[in-house]
Amino acid sequence: MNAIEITGLKKSFHGLYVLDGLNMTVPLGAIYGFIGENGSGKSTTEKLICGHLVPSAGHIQLFGKSYKDAGIRARVGALIENAGCFPNATIYQNLMMQAINLNLPRPHEDIHRVLKIVRMEDGAGLKFKKCSLGMKQRIGIAMALLGDPALLILDEPINGLDTDGMRIMREILTDITQSHGCTVLISSHILGELEKIATHYGIIRQGKMVQELTATEMEGRCRTFTTLKTGDIQRAKLDLQKLFPDVREEGGELRVYDVNDTEAIVRHLLDNGHTIQLLQKNRIGLEEYYIELMSRKEGA
Amino acid sequence: MQTVLAPDFASPTLRQRMKSMLGVDFYRLFHTPMFYIFLAIAALIPAMVSSMGMMAEPGGTAAALFTNAWNIVAADTPLYVVHDIGEYANMNMVFIFGGIMVSIFIGHDYRSGYVKQLFTTHSHKSDYMLSKSLVCAFAMACMCGTYLLGGIAGGLFSGMAFHARVFPLLFAILGKVVMSLGWASLYTFLNVILRRQFGVSITSSFVLGTGIPIIGAAALVGNSPLLNVFLYGSSVNACLSSTIVTLLTCTLVSVVWAVIYNALGTLILARSDVY
Repeated sequence: MNAIEITGLKKSFHGLYVLDGLNMTVPLGAIYGFIGENGSGKSTTEKLICGHLVPSAGHIQLFGKSYKDAGIRARVGALIENAGCFPNATIYQNLMMQAINLNLPRPHEDIHRVLKIVRMEDGAGLKFKKCSLGMKQRIGIAMALLGDPALLILDEPINGLDTDGMRIMREILTDITQSHGCTVLISSHILGELEKIATHYGIIRQGKMVQELTATEMEGRCRTFTTLKTGDIQRAKLDLQKLFPDVREEGGELRVYDVNDTEAIVRHLLDNGHTIQLLQKNRIGLEEYYIELMSRKEGA
Repeated sequence: MQTVLAPDFASPTLRQRMKSMLGVDFYRLFHTPMFYIFLAIAALIPAMVSSMGMMAEPGGTAAALFTNAWNIVAADTPLYVVHDIGEYANMNMVFIFGGIMVSIFIGHDYRSGYVKQLFTTHSHKSDYMLSKSLVCAFAMACMCGTYLLGGIAGGLFSGMAFHARVFPLLFAILGKVVMSLGWASLYTFLNVILRRQFGVSITSSFVLGTGIPIIGAAALVGNSPLLNVFLYGSSVNACLSSTIVTLLTCTLVSVVWAVIYNALGTLILARSDVY
């Protein structure tokens, strides 16, 4: 059973299709990184799953049932666009309303539990409007975590967080998936952070799913390369191409792709009388992979 | 990734859903200063209107709006056609304040984004409509209570006479209280369909709350009991000559309109985007 299964999902606003036949599968227990440029349809998809928008066509299933099923919805937590809190109410009052909404038997204890998770146990009495952007994001997470969610939908949750906030968020998400078996759908433009936690990826473009892959598959597609600088770049490139299949010149540097044995590169250059000014081993991460994929699709 | 067991999902019953929805709305109502401000307004207005009699001097231009203190609660007979402000100034004014209060109450749901939290979880659109209607009806009923206290205080202060038969007065008060449900449902419906235009929703609530459309219709058709099928008509009908039939009519009209507005509101919410 998958946590989310979407087929042929369409959504139009004033005749313009933001989602155009989206298919998406989020496995149970996954941290699904949902990637795409601005306006690609990420937030619209999340809002549709949450029942905020009415689909124009297509099907959404959560845990094998219709996404409208009240039993399933009771265990969906979301942070979309903002925390959805009353500005003049305190953090505690906002969380209490959500706890009542979820029929939690021990609301007081649950509120303190989630506040502890988001490291805000001392701020319960603070009015929501007095909180900083980062604090509001954390309160939004706390709201979403109330009621032991089986599915957590987070739209750009890292936005506005400082380095420490990002680390806390990473720890929270990893913990709830590992200890509670919660499935997380998370969209973010900060791909470097996403790469640290995601187990699956979905790349969306113009309302259609371009690619879905696991973190392991992504790892396999991410190439390693060695960057180097020599006295004569052109001659070094010709010499390296004799031994290594993929050598490219980029920004006054040479890149030798898919060679793990850096020593072999150095030896070959020195044997041919080159002087090495810079040598660095790199890896193409999610961000580079995404950019490359997008440019490929643009060209297609 | 570790093996994850499929979670259990127990569907909440209608009773559980309504309990949680009403719980949220009542919690919010009691924790917002707005509710207490409106209760105070509902008490102050009749007290001030009644006290105006004190300022009326014999032979002066100002005149007391009425001599019987209970007229601040209801007119002696159903007066759909109003000739002066005294005929208009009664407990029906609560439904004007109530309209503004409901607009602010529901408007905050949308402006804060809290409505997303409600609809993300198990709440149905019908739960939302019903809960808002009931809680706002309760708030208006409380405002009727403070209005009554304010009116009595104003009457005592200005030394007005308290002439009324007990049961007709009781039926009039109860009639207006039960009308709160119909009015609250109307305002909830209005604010749901105008959720993206807060200014328009608050203005239309105010206009309908004043009963201007019915007063206008009464100017054409006269003091016709047919006007009782409308919320304002039935609210006017609950007067100091009320009987048990008046109370039953008010209850019926209020409930029927509440059902209609709840059904329409649910339909619109279910077929349109939350934003």
